[in-house]
Amino acid sequence: MPEAVDIQLKKGALDLCVLALLSRADSYAYEIASRLAEAIGMGEGTIYPLMRRMQSDGLVETYLVESSAGPSRKYYRLTEAGKRSLAAQKDAWRSFAGAMQSILGEEA
Amino acid sequence: MTRLEFIARLRAGLSGMPDAARAEIVADYDAHFSEAAAAGRSETDVAAALGDPDRLARELRAEAGLKRWESERNPQAAAAAVFAVLGLGAIDVLFLLPILVGVVSVLCAFVIVSIVLFVAGAIVLAVSPFGHSVAMVGASLLGGLGMMASAVSAGAVLTLISIGLVNVLVWYGRLHYQLLKPAIDPRPSAPAELALS
Repeated sequence: MPEAVDIQLKKGALDLCVLALLSRADSYAYEIASRLAEAIGMGEGTIYPLMRRMQSDGLVETYLVESSAGPSRKYYRLTEAGKRSLAAQKDAWRSFAGAMQSILGEEA
Repeated sequence: MTRLEFIARLRAGLSGMPDAARAEIVADYDAHFSEAAAAGRSETDVAAALGDPDRLARELRAEAGLKRWESERNPQAAAAAVFAVLGLGAIDVLFLLPILVGVVSVLCAFVIVSIVLFVAGAIVLAVSPFGHSVAMVGASLLGGLGMMASAVSAGAVLTLISIGLVNVLVWYGRLHYQLLKPAIDPRPSAPAELALS
């Protein structure tokens, strides 16, 4: 079942994706959702519970930015804990990806 | 479904949650509709992409209950977590109900037995000085203490079992999230949900 494996992989990487996006620039939920929907096919409704969980875990914090058109936007930025979590998850991801690469490479 | 309908159903479904959390969640989804409208998408499309608002509200409330259990381990939070999982209303969660009632009854019976054993031990201990011989006094003293000690350890074991059971239930409940778990699947999980409700 190649799709199932694909979906499981992406689910596991969602947190890391959001942290990585926010490490480049602060962003708001709609933009994060659109980027991830485009990049890895994430369902767009998923972003709000995910952001709430990351906020309650202290990985991100919010601030409001006045918008020229319409109401002000809620932006998310990484906290110190979020930056540490990103660094740790990046390392874990790289070593896992490296290990997978060497295993898959031997088989090919 | 229109934007107003989605928001109204979400708001209604979240009743019972703290007002601040409820307002924040509703504002998030409302802002999503505004952003999508600015990007030229129709309300119906956006509502379909977000999923069933009733289901979403049930899962958000369940998650709040489960979070509470994880942060404060007390009987009230345990009860809230159990009701949160049952509140999901998933069919296989409801199948679990008879088993759950059975297990809880057995646990209650054991708790009552432990309490009775503790009280009996205390009585035996209390009457021990009135024994007819030194041997009798010693025997009932030790016997009483032994009964009380075993009742206390039984209580401790029962508490651990109960905590473990609630944790399993929390894990089981989270498996049944359809919208809250990161939904990578581009197809909305709505069809199965519609068939059930």
